[in-house]
Amino acid sequence: MRDLIRAEMLKLRTTRSFWGYVASSLAFVPVSIWLAIVTAGQGGSAFPVLDSSDGLRNVMSAASSGALLLLLIGILVMAGEFRHNTVTSTFLISPDRKRVVGAKLAAAGLVGIGVALAASLLTLAIALPWLGARHVDVSLLSSDVVLPLLGAITVTALFPMVGIGIGALLRNQTVAVTITLVWILLVETILVSFAPEVGRWLPGGAASALSGVATAEGGLLPLWGAALLFAGYGLAFAAAGTRFVIRRDIS
Amino acid sequence: MVAIEIHGLSKRFGDVAAVDDLSFSARAGAVTGFLGPNGAGKTTTLRMLLGLVTPSEGTATIDGLPYAELEVPFRRVGAVLETDGFHPGRRARDHLRVLTVAAGLRDDRVEEVLDQVDLAGVAERRIKGFSLGMRQRLGLASALLGEPEVLILDEPANGLDPEGINWLRRFLRTFADRGGTVLVSSHLLAEVAQTVDDIVIIANGRLVTQSSLSELADRSKSGVRVRTPQAEALREALTTQGIAAQLVSADAIVALETTAEAVGLAAAGAGAVIYEMAPERFDLEETFLELTTREGAVR
Repeated sequence: MRDLIRAEMLKLRTTRSFWGYVASSLAFVPVSIWLAIVTAGQGGSAFPVLDSSDGLRNVMSAASSGALLLLLIGILVMAGEFRHNTVTSTFLISPDRKRVVGAKLAAAGLVGIGVALAASLLTLAIALPWLGARHVDVSLLSSDVVLPLLGAITVTALFPMVGIGIGALLRNQTVAVTITLVWILLVETILVSFAPEVGRWLPGGAASALSGVATAEGGLLPLWGAALLFAGYGLAFAAAGTRFVIRRDIS
Repeated sequence: MVAIEIHGLSKRFGDVAAVDDLSFSARAGAVTGFLGPNGAGKTTTLRMLLGLVTPSEGTATIDGLPYAELEVPFRRVGAVLETDGFHPGRRARDHLRVLTVAAGLRDDRVEEVLDQVDLAGVAERRIKGFSLGMRQRLGLASALLGEPEVLILDEPANGLDPEGINWLRRFLRTFADRGGTVLVSSHLLAEVAQTVDDIVIIANGRLVTQSSLSELADRSKSGVRVRTPQAEALREALTTQGIAAQLVSADAIVALETTAEAVGLAAAGAGAVIYEMAPERFDLEETFLELTTREGAVR
């Protein structure tokens, strides 16, 4: 199993698209911080003033702003095998397909944790001096800083799991990426904004709650609930995808 | 020694039987050609043998075990099933490194197989720039990583230039002469005729014949073409005597694996008028075409 996980990591590292996704994911951080700071205090609960608990969390939510890219990496890890037909040699080496999917989940989870830590450090490195310049006092250990960062790590580590599940179920990489982006960016965003009683139960709603981002009505789940729900989505997608891949003919 | 054993293997996709109650074997120390027209079920059979496709019925074993139950299958069996099983953005050496790590093999196997297939000079290039021939060789390199005793190749000659085909022939010959088992599929008999020891021919998912190449060659020379207005009656008479015969037109049949004397006797027995009778010498390719279309006509 260790060999398979190492091989999955090597697969990722030896393609340029992977590094492109990681770089894009981190590029979201400065943009999100900038947005949170310039829009702060512009009225409404979605734009809290900086010198408040909500305002600080909103800035710190930048740490998970690029987590969506990890969802795409997860799709790539699984659907990419079908797209490039590498799935044949992968399953020839390990006919036990559960182990293959397990190794992919582990490798993508590790990547997710790595990216989340990098994004968290980047957030602190950019946001703290910036907030200091705006005369906002920040304690590193305050829950308004720690919770969004922990949430970011949870979301970023679990998102690839969802992606691997989607990739296994749909197998067509382009279709999987398109459907996922439309769902998360369009359908869920609309539902979270206009029907939070539904939206908060969806993966994207749970991810938003975990990130600490401020929303118009504040209609998201509490943190622990969102964490449980999101982990549940990760497991459900991964389990469904695994089941599907085990039974599929590879032809 | 029998290394690959296919027994009663079937695969149905809905109502269509891609492979239908197929049985054959391939022995160690020989190159076995697995022949049939495109769509005959060769690829599906090989994929069932390798555990990638689940059979509807029957078994396919390597050294007595299904592929998935072999201990470290990658070290027993090397397979090349397609020419495009690579991430185009990955370098050739990295592709092999991934497989080596996943299979838990020594790192230096990568350089060894690169030398073996003569790709060491281009190993740092991304695979998207590779020609079809280079991809075939990279596929073969991947299959050789685990130092297998069994090689399974699906249409390996596709995309190879004459020089490459020659190289592949010598390679497979040497591999088998050292005691290895080779099962190699092709839709062209001519492509493998110079390399194979044994031949398995399938059409429409069913076995047409399994024999050694020399047996098939002998059989090929003994066809008899007969022109007669009672073609169908003569064909039936021949068939009841165990002589395979095929209607080639309304008034002509070809009897296979037999002599003019035997056909003449059968014709006399059936009361068939013979306008013309001539022993025919088929070359192997014609025999192959004849065999596969005959099976096709049955269905």
